[in-house]
Amino acid sequence: MERFDLIVVGAGPAGLSASIEGAKKGMRVVVFDENDRPGGQLFKQIHKFFGSKEHKAKIRGFRIGQQLLKEAADAGVKVVLGATVEGLYLDKEVTVKIGEKLFHYKGDAILVATGASENMVTFPGWTLPGVIGAGAAQTMMNLHGVKPGSKILMLGTGNVGLVVSFQLLQCGCEVVALVDAAPQVGGYGVHAAKVARTGVPFYLSHTIVEAEGEDCVTGVTIAQVDEHFQFVPGTEKHFDVDTICLAVGLSPMSQLLKMAGCRMEDNPAKGGQVPVCDEDGQTSVPGIFVAGDVSGIEEASSAMIEGRMAGLAAARYLGYVDDAAAETGKEMLEGQLLSLRQGMFAPGQKGKKIETTEEGIPVSENLLKHGFVADDEILRFPGVTKRVGIHPVMECTQNIPCNPCQDACPKGCISIGDNITALPYVVEDAKCIGCGMCVAACSGQAVFLVDEEIGGGFASVTLPYEFLLLPEKGENGIALGRDGKELCPASVLDVKTAKAFDQTALLTIKVPAGMAMRARFYKNPSREGKDAPKEGGAAR
Amino acid sequence: MNDRSRDIGPFVPAPDDDMIICRCEEVTKGEIRRAVHDGMFTIAEIRRYLRAGMGLCQGQTCSKLVKSIVARELNVSPACLEPATSRAPMRPTEMYILANEEREV
Amino acid sequence: MNNHADVIIVGGGIIGCAAAYYLTKKGCSVLVLEGSKDIGNGGSSRNGGGVRQSGRDPRELPLAMYGIKNLWPTLSEELEVDCEYHQDGNLRLGKTEKHLEILQGLADRARACGLDVRMIDGDEVRAINPYLSDEVIGASWCPTDGHANPLTTTLGYYKMARRLGARFITEEPVIALKKIKGHLRQVITAENVYECDTVILAAGLGSRDIAATVGIDIPMQPAMLEALVTEAQPPMFDQMLGTAEADFYGHQTKHGSFVFGGTSGLEGFTKDNHTPVTSSISAPSTCRGIIKYFPILKDAKIVRTWAGWMDLCADKVPVISPVSEVPGLILACGFSGHGFGIAPAVGTVLSQLALHETTAVDLHELRYDRFRAKA
Repeated sequence: MERFDLIVVGAGPAGLSASIEGAKKGMRVVVFDENDRPGGQLFKQIHKFFGSKEHKAKIRGFRIGQQLLKEAADAGVKVVLGATVEGLYLDKEVTVKIGEKLFHYKGDAILVATGASENMVTFPGWTLPGVIGAGAAQTMMNLHGVKPGSKILMLGTGNVGLVVSFQLLQCGCEVVALVDAAPQVGGYGVHAAKVARTGVPFYLSHTIVEAEGEDCVTGVTIAQVDEHFQFVPGTEKHFDVDTICLAVGLSPMSQLLKMAGCRMEDNPAKGGQVPVCDEDGQTSVPGIFVAGDVSGIEEASSAMIEGRMAGLAAARYLGYVDDAAAETGKEMLEGQLLSLRQGMFAPGQKGKKIETTEEGIPVSENLLKHGFVADDEILRFPGVTKRVGIHPVMECTQNIPCNPCQDACPKGCISIGDNITALPYVVEDAKCIGCGMCVAACSGQAVFLVDEEIGGGFASVTLPYEFLLLPEKGENGIALGRDGKELCPASVLDVKTAKAFDQTALLTIKVPAGMAMRARFYKNPSREGKDAPKEGGAAR
Repeated sequence: MNDRSRDIGPFVPAPDDDMIICRCEEVTKGEIRRAVHDGMFTIAEIRRYLRAGMGLCQGQTCSKLVKSIVARELNVSPACLEPATSRAPMRPTEMYILANEEREV
Repeated sequence: MNNHADVIIVGGGIIGCAAAYYLTKKGCSVLVLEGSKDIGNGGSSRNGGGVRQSGRDPRELPLAMYGIKNLWPTLSEELEVDCEYHQDGNLRLGKTEKHLEILQGLADRARACGLDVRMIDGDEVRAINPYLSDEVIGASWCPTDGHANPLTTTLGYYKMARRLGARFITEEPVIALKKIKGHLRQVITAENVYECDTVILAAGLGSRDIAATVGIDIPMQPAMLEALVTEAQPPMFDQMLGTAEADFYGHQTKHGSFVFGGTSGLEGFTKDNHTPVTSSISAPSTCRGIIKYFPILKDAKIVRTWAGWMDLCADKVPVISPVSEVPGLILACGFSGHGFGIAPAVGTVLSQLALHETTAVDLHELRYDRFRAKA
């Protein structure tokens, strides 16, 4: 039977990273993935990632996938696609369906990086066609170029719900509401804010009463829930929709590990059934390792580091690296992982009510309740200052591990400091030249360039814009506030695109001077309907 | 030890009992709840008694839902209930393909 | 907690559950102790569902015939669960002359016991089951055989016994039995001592170690059996199938799926990690076997495979027997992979043994002390 040093199951961020690390250490590595395309969830991620440089921050997920594939190929990893691992047996043997054949292989080490699957919730009508997982919607849009629906309600305000809502908007769907039974938005505030400013209402402490329709979804009713998650009578709201997206969490796909006899635990903090494993990702069966969502639901960024750690551990297990080198490598990776697991959304913070930022600033209650920072809250954050001339405004109000903005400014106008979760602030003496690199660099689309007085009682606001079709210079439309409500007339002063912006267009609008710190989005009602974006035409 | 005769209270019909939980095998919430009162206290027993989670998706969609229904009925935490055993093949596979073994590439 | 019962049954498989049901129906107080987490966790949930008389050893054939005549036909009604019992015959298929010889031998022995089993040729086989390939040249045919759903039947017995007042405790492995003043009285677990007048030991392979605590040995050993199930197919046929070569057996269920058991030839030697796990080679081998007989099923998708241990008795028939040296002990073990079909009858006779009634079927050939050296 053909034997490999390391058999990796799953060519997602964790599996690919592990295979690269293993192959670089001299191991003979094969990666099997049941899909026809590698990359796991990465190729569905068209947004820019958070983090720091070593976490590949501000790079769009699918490009990270491309980078990993190239690195894997360069390292000599064999990636076999359309290869379903059907079973993991004793003696670390796998059976793999490839084409119309069943192959048997053994690995001296096995890494299971099978990822996760989407959770479902039940309500009357949940089995109607039109009720889909948010991840499924993402697959339809971003891998297959298919529009999931026209009018969509999203249940769940975690990062998946927020990111996918934005992508649905990008591909031309109408998102009628974002709904969550929890009393506050679960995902990053910046993800919520970029959805809210387009005019999508948030309904926290609400959930779905019923999906309506005979043969498919034609509508949905939501209602408020009390602290015991019981419906409050009389609070029902109806929406006409053809699609309901569920973004209610993920469950590790750990079946292979259970089959292999690994000791399992039910760990709600990790999303369900996960293998019990040590800090290297080794399970109770020696030589079987895990990394990524299968060992506990987290972000792709941490999956990549975990993958490298498991790849390194497998190399050590088989004697391809000595203990000292392995320890050094592990320490470095642990440092990277640790920096990702900090801030308000760190694994340990789950379910905790956070009152103030690390800087001691009260958090925006409105952001948690409605998805956007209210006008009377925004000025208390260090990235938001008023000054003469053009200057950056960083509407970054939560401590998350992310710092590309501070490197983006060629003039050093923005600083975060050594603490990656600190809120960015505007450096006193630095002079903004209005290049817009910070606007494009911010993965959260939370940086704006503002000139509060451009003459004639007007101000200019430069905002990140990731929708097709792009507005044209000189056209007139309406500026929207952070709440997505129409604020004032606006005219387009400039539309900048550049390779360095990586598909984020910089839209500069002219608004009345008093609106400089309020106008955060632009729409042109006269274009709507006429030039609707084509299906699948998201930012890619 | 798990005393199957312990009192879990009477079966009380609920308005959403006819809601389908396991889509593959069309098992309703009411059937699952009733089965618990018939003594099926484990996920494996529920599965064997009702086929919930035995369909094409092998419980990928409904296993958490079934678990929470059973847990609520027994008044225990869902984490106390062991999920059903995972079994090969991980994806439904044609007999002729399983039969068509190849030992080397 | 009341730790006393008239009868304690060790083992919550179909034998234990059926005995519990028939005993509670007769007004006995019954306690069932199951070591694992689940009722019916052993062979009861892992077998192919055959309710056969044909192919059985003459010593256990009367039990099979009694059950099929008296118990199976009304079982679903009685247990208020769909046991999916079908009495549409059993075809044991042959592809070679040698196969036909084996089948002829089995048929002759069965007929000697009064069972209607006859040999039929390939065309007759295909008249009964048109999906069989031309490779099949003959079969033995027992029209009164059939199949049922082992899962619902086992849990149906459990449900009804529990409803009638039998107490079941799972995750309570029995460590030892203990005689008090010459009579078996106590059943000992890690944390509890239970007391009774009669113990029925029906714990599959585990029975051997437990019986050893009162100085009794039943010669049995494990053998792994593997099975698989397909996705639902349109209704095709209702017979139970087997082969002379024993390369597979199975049937189509009410659900539409096909359940097939098979062997790789290595099942007596498979290793495990203390749970019955499938091997990587068995399901492929079973599939190859099936396709030769049923080419039409080649595209059917396998949804699951599973494994289970048989408690293989030295002479391949069970021990169903009171133990005279240990008054109060009744053994019901060593079913050797074909206990499901006779379970209702076994439950019935166990209830009769426990209550010192005359058994419905003569059991003397299934005594515990029948094992002898060869010379």
